[in-house]
Amino acid sequence: MLSFSIIITVSIFFMGIVVRTKSLASGRKGPGVMQPIKDIIRLLRKGAVFSTTTSYIFRIAPSIYLASILMAILMLPHGNLPGFISFGGDFVMFAYILGMGKFMMIIASLDTGSSFEGMGASREALFSMLIEPAFFIVMGSLALFTGHTSFYDIFSTLHFGSHISYLIGTLAAFVLVFVAMIENSRMPVDDPKTHLELTMIHEVMVLDNSGFDLGMILYATPLKFVMYGTLIANFFIGELPLQWSIPVFFIIQFVFAVTIGIIESFSARFRMSHNPQFIFILTSVSLLIFFGVLLVLGKFI
Amino acid sequence: MIIINFIVNLNQLFQIKYTINLPCFTDNHAMSIELVLILTLVALFTGMLGIAILPERFRAAWVIFIVLLNSILTAIPSVSAFGGHTQSGSFFLSHFPGIEIKIAIDKLSAWFILIINFTSVNGILFGRGYLKSYKHLTTNLDLHWIFYMLFHISMVWVCMIDHGIVFLVAWELMSISSLFLVIFEYQNRETLKAGLNYMVQMHLSVVFLSAGILWIYAESGSFSLAALSTIDTHGNGIWIIILLFIGFAIKAGFLPFHTWLPHAHPAAPSHVSGVMSGVIVKLGIYGIFRIIAGINHNWLIIGEILLSISVISALYGIMNAAVKYDFKRALAFCTVENIGIIGMAMGLGLIGIGLENPGLIFLGFSGALLHVLNHSLFKSLLFFGAGSVYQQTHTRNIEKLGGLINYMPVTAVLFLIGALSIGGLPPFNGFVSEFLIYNGLVSGMLSVKGISDIILLVLSTIGLVLVGGISILTFTKMFGVIFLGNSRSEFRHKPVESSFSMLLPQFLIVTVMLSIGLFPKFYLALVSQIVSDSCPGPLLPAHAVVYPSYEVLSSIGRVSAIFIILIGVVILFKYTVTKKRAVKTCETWGCGYVKPVAKAQYTGRSFARTFGNLMGTVIKEKKNYQRIEQSQVYPEVRSFSTSYFDIIEKYLVMPLVRRFNHVLNYFQFVQNGKIQSYVIYGLFFILIIFMGSLLNFIH
Repeated sequence: MLSFSIIITVSIFFMGIVVRTKSLASGRKGPGVMQPIKDIIRLLRKGAVFSTTTSYIFRIAPSIYLASILMAILMLPHGNLPGFISFGGDFVMFAYILGMGKFMMIIASLDTGSSFEGMGASREALFSMLIEPAFFIVMGSLALFTGHTSFYDIFSTLHFGSHISYLIGTLAAFVLVFVAMIENSRMPVDDPKTHLELTMIHEVMVLDNSGFDLGMILYATPLKFVMYGTLIANFFIGELPLQWSIPVFFIIQFVFAVTIGIIESFSARFRMSHNPQFIFILTSVSLLIFFGVLLVLGKFI
Repeated sequence: MIIINFIVNLNQLFQIKYTINLPCFTDNHAMSIELVLILTLVALFTGMLGIAILPERFRAAWVIFIVLLNSILTAIPSVSAFGGHTQSGSFFLSHFPGIEIKIAIDKLSAWFILIINFTSVNGILFGRGYLKSYKHLTTNLDLHWIFYMLFHISMVWVCMIDHGIVFLVAWELMSISSLFLVIFEYQNRETLKAGLNYMVQMHLSVVFLSAGILWIYAESGSFSLAALSTIDTHGNGIWIIILLFIGFAIKAGFLPFHTWLPHAHPAAPSHVSGVMSGVIVKLGIYGIFRIIAGINHNWLIIGEILLSISVISALYGIMNAAVKYDFKRALAFCTVENIGIIGMAMGLGLIGIGLENPGLIFLGFSGALLHVLNHSLFKSLLFFGAGSVYQQTHTRNIEKLGGLINYMPVTAVLFLIGALSIGGLPPFNGFVSEFLIYNGLVSGMLSVKGISDIILLVLSTIGLVLVGGISILTFTKMFGVIFLGNSRSEFRHKPVESSFSMLLPQFLIVTVMLSIGLFPKFYLALVSQIVSDSCPGPLLPAHAVVYPSYEVLSSIGRVSAIFIILIGVVILFKYTVTKKRAVKTCETWGCGYVKPVAKAQYTGRSFARTFGNLMGTVIKEKKNYQRIEQSQVYPEVRSFSTSYFDIIEKYLVMPLVRRFNHVLNYFQFVQNGKIQSYVIYGLFFILIIFMGSLLNFIH
């Protein structure tokens, strides 16, 4: 539960740090660190407008989406401490539970009968399908490297061997940063600040959500970022005792947020048709990790 | 002449009857398996007689009764097979090749028999409501009822009989009866064409199977499939396995042999497609399980080949399913995908045997068996849902549908549950078997030695992940476009919710599905017994194998339960917080347009188009339209249509068929429509056999 509570704590500040980084990079002072979460709280206190076309699917989907992310977070360990639930192969369930939330959001956007939202839904389905192999290869390589299949066992035994594990961790962190960016529909593949529905992915899916539902969806973004940030942090925490691991965790999350801000400030959105290629690059980087692991284990015969 | 023949036949029949070793009741079992077989036969003929005698309105109920009766009859020995020993017995027919006809229900057969019974009973319960709208077609209906009974029981017989030739007879009965179920609307040309396609492919399968079974007989002198294990599969014996595998793969729908599925399933009435997709293709898997039990060499390489074929099948199936407009055709392609997943699991199990890794053997085979059950559940559920939609809207084109959730709320929820579980999403059952397979892939990666095997396993993992992702795309599209949004065309009459008799089987299925999702341990316990019972090769004691996966699966059940509770908590929290808030309804945001039209909605084609373009090498689109010539100045009515076609069918199967046709045309004179010449053919054949045995060519 420690892991869960610090993840929730970090998620409150996370978007603020990203936004602050972006405004500093563009030469503005920018809003306070708490501003994004204040926006979300304000939304949570509002009433809602529903489209006449929508059914109950549209109303329950955001709740299931948030629940899926919370459930996934419950499964994450913190260095030496296992998550709320830990078992062999839990990373598969982690990915599939997130898939459940995604499924609901996609059909919710089709529920509006809009001419744009299906577009976002289609792209979300496509890109999240394409990005999944990268995550699985990274986790599979780490499983191969450590000989274990659960998050907790993988992360707690990652650094027992040689220090090459840190190199693998760095490469995996690179992949996961971009996985997080794509899963949250952020900069290189999608611009959350764009003004045209035709060019959006995630934002266009939630055009019709309002009030509490929109608040939940918006809060899901920092949660998901911190979730991937936790995975990245776990690559490096390893066996550290708690008094060290918690500060390290916060630092890594902070660096992660700043990195996202910097990437968002200094990169342009790709053309929609180039996104699959970019995602395939990530898959090939994860394959690189895999071959690196094979090399370390001496399995190249 | 005919009469004499008849008497001779009768006489023979009489002799046979006398030599039947009547079931002995001294056995410990309450009912011996021979008796069960005879009783099912009796029930079948009573059922057929009943159709002839009973008035029309009772016939459907009568068929349900007979199917239920046969299910219970065959379920009893199956359950006791799970309880302990294999139920076996035999008939002795003095004039029959092999003399002894063994019938046996071991745990593997029992598993399949129970699945067949459950799905068939659900099928007929649904079918009764579904066929109500065809009340005027009395002949079609009566044929349908008769063949449904035969279809159900012949599938069970296939699982019971352990004698090559009788097995082929039961197999053939199953294929033919299902053919008649497929061509229910035989007045429709398209349906008939699909039926012929199905029939030809099924008979190809029989050709391969007969060759394989006769070869086994020639090598070992036994008609039992189990005799395969006495043949050395190192040398020529491998060809027996290949022959049998092709025969069963045609039924199961592995990759190059899948082309009958997308034609037969849309043509058949929905409950038949549900049962066919749910269980008949699984009998191909059953057959492959039987062959695997007989392999005694080369497990590793056979496993690798099976794994590769299956990954390709799964990917190809789901890619095609993603872009199809006809929802039943998409479901048929999705069956190909799931057969691929089952095959992957079986391949993993074989690799496990090759590596002598009991954990991998267990994960592979139990994943396959559990996925057989899971797929039979959610696929029949989805086909039933599709059938309800078709019954109400009379179209299978998703582009004409939409907004059905408002008219058919219960069907929509059931379809959604089916869609979620076929995508392998927790907390439903599809995840359990996919999880076992993922675990198998990872544990295989940890235990294989060579680089090539590791790469194969990693590519398979990528394949399975992609299959999962694409199936989410497919089923969000299917559910979203059929049930959500606004309807894209005017319905002839307002769709209404299906009757309770059609919903009941779907509720039954969902109950079982949820029980698998939440208590996977129980089902794994059953499956583990089968694996340790009928798994070939060197296997460690069952309990040592089962233990780790057991704990893991109970964790899955726990996570699923927590997940459901968490969803409940979030929804409840939202409800209590927002209970008193103002809720407004208004039009969907349309970029400022206030009069949205239903046609402007995102369509199924546009939903899958980016994906289709990305996978353009595999998924080919055909556009039908006329180019505008320069001389055509004035506008006129034009049409434009697109469809995705199956490249394997178009570029591999059809050219082959055309070549064959070309050659076979020269033999067309044989079929001249004159009975006299057919009699002469028979005479020639007898003469050849006679000369052959006289001159010692045939022993």
